[in-house]
Amino acid sequence: MAANAPSSRPHQEILLKVENITKRYPLVLANDNISFEIRRGEICSLLGENGAGKSTLAEILCGACRPDSGTISFGGKPTAFASPRDAIAAGVGMVHQHFTLVPTLSAVENIFIGTKSTGILLDLKPTTRRLEELCAAYEVELDLHAKVSQLSVDKQQWVEILKALFGGIQLLILDEPTAALTPQESRKLYANLQKMRSEGLSIICITHKLEEVIDASDRVIVLRNGKLVDAIETAATNKEALARMMVGRDVMFRVDNKRKEPGEALLEVDDLTAYNDRGHAALRGVSFTVRRGEVLAVAGVSGNGQKELFDVLVGVRQAAGGRIALDRKDITNRPTTFSRGHGIGSIPADRIHQGLVMDFRVDENLILGRHWDSRFTRWSFLSQGKIAAFAETMIRDYEIVPPSASQAVRALSGGNLQKVIIARELSQEPKCLLVNQPTRGLDVGATEYAHRRLLQERDRGAGILLISEDLAEILSLATRIAVIFRGQIVGMMDGGEASIDEIGLLMAGIHRGAPRRLQ
Amino acid sequence: MAVQQLRKSAGARWKIERRPDVSTGRQFVAILLALGVSFVVSAVLIAVAGASVGRAAVAALHGAFGDLRAIAETLLQATPILFTGLAVTVAFRARLFSIGAEGQFFAGAMGAVWVCMLVGDRLPSAVLIPLVVVAGLVGGGIWGAIPGLLKAKYDASEIIVTVMLNFVIFFFLAFLLGDAWRDPSSFYYQTPRMPAAAQFPELIPGMRLHWGFVLALACAAMVYVFLWKTAWGYEIRAVGINAEAARYKGISIPKVTVVAMAVSGAIAGLAGASEVPGLHQRLVLDLSSGFGFTGIIIAMLGRLHPLGVVPAAILFGASVTGISAMQIAVNVPVAINQAIQGVILIFLLMADVLVRYRVRRTNPRV
Amino acid sequence: MSSLWEAAFITSLLAGMLRMATPILFAALGELIAERAGILNLGVEGMMLTGALTGFLVAHATGSLWLGTVSALATGGLLGLFMAFMAAQLKVDQILVGLALNLLAVGGTTYAYRLAFKDVGAKNPSTIATFETLNIPLLSKIPFIGEVLFSQHLLTYIALVLVPATYFLLYRTKYGLELRGIGDNPRAVDMRGINNIRRQVLAVTFGGMMAGLGGAFLTLAATGLFVPEVSAGRGWIAIAVVIFGNWRPQWILIGALLFGLVESIQLSLQAVGVKVAHEFLLGLPYLLTIVALVFNRSRSQSPLALGIPYHRESR
Repeated sequence: MAANAPSSRPHQEILLKVENITKRYPLVLANDNISFEIRRGEICSLLGENGAGKSTLAEILCGACRPDSGTISFGGKPTAFASPRDAIAAGVGMVHQHFTLVPTLSAVENIFIGTKSTGILLDLKPTTRRLEELCAAYEVELDLHAKVSQLSVDKQQWVEILKALFGGIQLLILDEPTAALTPQESRKLYANLQKMRSEGLSIICITHKLEEVIDASDRVIVLRNGKLVDAIETAATNKEALARMMVGRDVMFRVDNKRKEPGEALLEVDDLTAYNDRGHAALRGVSFTVRRGEVLAVAGVSGNGQKELFDVLVGVRQAAGGRIALDRKDITNRPTTFSRGHGIGSIPADRIHQGLVMDFRVDENLILGRHWDSRFTRWSFLSQGKIAAFAETMIRDYEIVPPSASQAVRALSGGNLQKVIIARELSQEPKCLLVNQPTRGLDVGATEYAHRRLLQERDRGAGILLISEDLAEILSLATRIAVIFRGQIVGMMDGGEASIDEIGLLMAGIHRGAPRRLQ
Repeated sequence: MAVQQLRKSAGARWKIERRPDVSTGRQFVAILLALGVSFVVSAVLIAVAGASVGRAAVAALHGAFGDLRAIAETLLQATPILFTGLAVTVAFRARLFSIGAEGQFFAGAMGAVWVCMLVGDRLPSAVLIPLVVVAGLVGGGIWGAIPGLLKAKYDASEIIVTVMLNFVIFFFLAFLLGDAWRDPSSFYYQTPRMPAAAQFPELIPGMRLHWGFVLALACAAMVYVFLWKTAWGYEIRAVGINAEAARYKGISIPKVTVVAMAVSGAIAGLAGASEVPGLHQRLVLDLSSGFGFTGIIIAMLGRLHPLGVVPAAILFGASVTGISAMQIAVNVPVAINQAIQGVILIFLLMADVLVRYRVRRTNPRV
Repeated sequence: MSSLWEAAFITSLLAGMLRMATPILFAALGELIAERAGILNLGVEGMMLTGALTGFLVAHATGSLWLGTVSALATGGLLGLFMAFMAAQLKVDQILVGLALNLLAVGGTTYAYRLAFKDVGAKNPSTIATFETLNIPLLSKIPFIGEVLFSQHLLTYIALVLVPATYFLLYRTKYGLELRGIGDNPRAVDMRGINNIRRQVLAVTFGGMMAGLGGAFLTLAATGLFVPEVSAGRGWIAIAVVIFGNWRPQWILIGALLFGLVESIQLSLQAVGVKVAHEFLLGLPYLLTIVALVFNRSRSQSPLALGIPYHRESR
């Protein structure tokens, strides 16, 4: 899918002009003197790795945050967005990365909130009618009256998009729009975005995926460390050049990955069933085997049971049925401490809320889960000296910065937070490692570090279950790839032979013939 | 609009931003700020009552610290609230908002009195006093474990359950005092006098201050060790900050809930068990003047740390002795004490917010 | 003969149920609105107590019961406003602010009462003439139902009408929809350009006014006198009733009636002289609250963002 040639677009006027925008947070300079323009009727990518400042810029443009300095002109007039209301009034619509939808209300109700209507009574009919028109225009099938929590993720995103489009806008901003979509759904989304562009809408797509930038955008603005690196026509650049701008150095696209032959079965999961927090079935009979010395990746769109799978294997969620065995020993529904004591390590998806106690110090976090080990505690009393020594070793071995064991973990950067968790888990030399979204929100440097350590574990003979929504990561690390859809494994393939299209179809639940099962 | 003003003004703009962390020094400032404003409010309340603020202040200071007797009285008043402040500290550290110290105080007192009724006249001090202490710990511990269990098993709000249990035990005590435990020789609703063997020895000869105060100090030290030097305390603090992460690493939230509530209850029970044998020698319905609730304020003032709770308790003890001296001098209702306590807590919360933010100049880049 | 006695007993029991339920119903409906906006207001007990005192003091001083009622509404509202400011604007921990308000109210009302009635002995508390019951013409003559339902205080009728009124507000108006949105996902509503803080402040102020009104009922309609801590935990029971009623007005009514019934039974049994320990009956409502909480958990439909302060800028 090539980008539309520039010559097919009429000469555009400038819609948005951003000058010298600066935004500083206590720990970081998020936006450093950024200036650029957006023209009418174009799709512009805002590219940068995690932490580059893209989301902050988007928040400023939609009124969610105020810049420290700088000016914005919209439609030729200088404007200042003091709040989301100003941005909406000016004609800016935003599709957030984490949907801003009220889960207990329907799509119509969600979109009705904030629209101008007279009278006190609730009248949803005009809103419903307009939404039906919009859905027809973009060929989207959507149950407008169902509670948003009951919709699938891609449908929820459409509610988010319709919400942004609803009042009639001039500029649409999408923050990582394809994060929760299959490759096919992503293509469909971009097709619709191009339709909107041909109607005169300006679109900013925030992304860190180079393929999307090259395939779908007219221009690309690259941010790095809060500064604007360049703003150029997409046709005038390529993936390698963009990557170099994004990171500041040459980037390898495939990690050097000499795969060894995997060993015998380590973790056997058989017909596992479980429920999610709302009481609905999340796992409906999941079966797979992780072997020693391999990385078994589980690919899938978020919300298809990955969280519940991780929770059950770690031991914080009950398995309603099925069996889990480690080295042939049944460990189904044993408490978390049991699993840990038998060589299972785990790296959870949410560093801050599931992985660490943010107000604790680095050394206190490093012994979390092992605080009753005789190495650290005797007769219930913590052995401060031994804990401190352990922490020093970990900081050194895992390159944690700043190198202070008594530092509050709150002050560490995202990459270093992940290093603390990695150090905590890997230092126990686990037989089996359960990893969930290990590099979400991390910059390229921290991502490379995490991948390097994971492959080291694999080479040491550990069996790794990698649950990830990042296909690039999966293709880069996996020995074998399983695809999860609606709580079941719908496909299993060899890592080296996998094609994105095939994985994408499976992620959307479309099987071509009977699923091949490689156990 | 701000951005336009920016362009017009050549200079910098002010903005309010959150501090990344709040140093102990700043927290101390917050406390002083809160206390300062509260004193001003007290002065206003005294003036409203028609009294001379100056005379009131002098009387209060003298009543609290004027001589050895005053200091001993201050420490005496500080004793029960030091216990309850420590009790609340343990519970709050697990993010369990227990309002039950008041009821647990009575539970401990009832345990102590019950033991004395059973075996009091037959045992020497050396055995009876430790027994009384244990009875207080057990009584309060049970009354604290109940809401802990209900929260652990049924997710019943510990806030509401502890408040309800406060009422329940109060009525139960009223029942006992009117019936089975009533001193037949007395007109009032109270228990018979405790045996002399159970009486806590006095700390300074001739003063009412008793060894309960030393016990409270020892308790403070033990709470510090418990929370920061043991694996139990580690789990309590971890759960209090981030229960989710604790769960993922195998910490049992139900277990921690019950342990924290039981320990908290036991300490509050100890308050009751030291107040009866130490001071009143009898169990009466108005044994507590809101010790449980004052304990919450002391725990917050003391930043949920024994090093802060001890001085806070002494400060509040001083306010009790000071204000009763003031009442004699200038006829202001004693209830002003409770009112001021509430004011202090509110201003502390507000000062906390102020201290969490700072004002910075931002220089727009040229 | 005995059947007449029984009928009269039950009638006065049920009439008492409605009367006793009134303060709890007011406070609970007010708390419902506050919690639907995402604010956990634990200061209800204090607001009720303050309303009780203010109403009493003003009525005693001016002789006007309605003036007393209005001032109770005002002070409850003021405390609610303060709570809302701390919670919604300053984003202080809501639980702590609520507790602080309670402590302040207990101390403050006791202090103010003692100050106002310094020269009056404890055995001889001042009283005022209370509101008369409003007997609805014709309807109150119906046997049995007439006495139970149509011979109550005006305030009780108002509380009962408030039940469908809050239902209408929450589910049939624009504001109700926005409020429910704020309680479940404040960010979603904020990004639609709506001023969350203003709506939360209004909601909690309303909650405070209702709590104050409930307190006023205690001193101006039910008893005619004030004693320190007259609310005796009813504010806490109101909070429990909201949980027990699963955040729905109709079930909150049932919950309030239930507690009213227990209190009414306690009074009636005492009056008849039944040989049950007086204190056991007194403690029954509180035990019942605990039992209600225990049997409530699984069907919880609490507002998703209840008690969680919302920061627009996440850093």
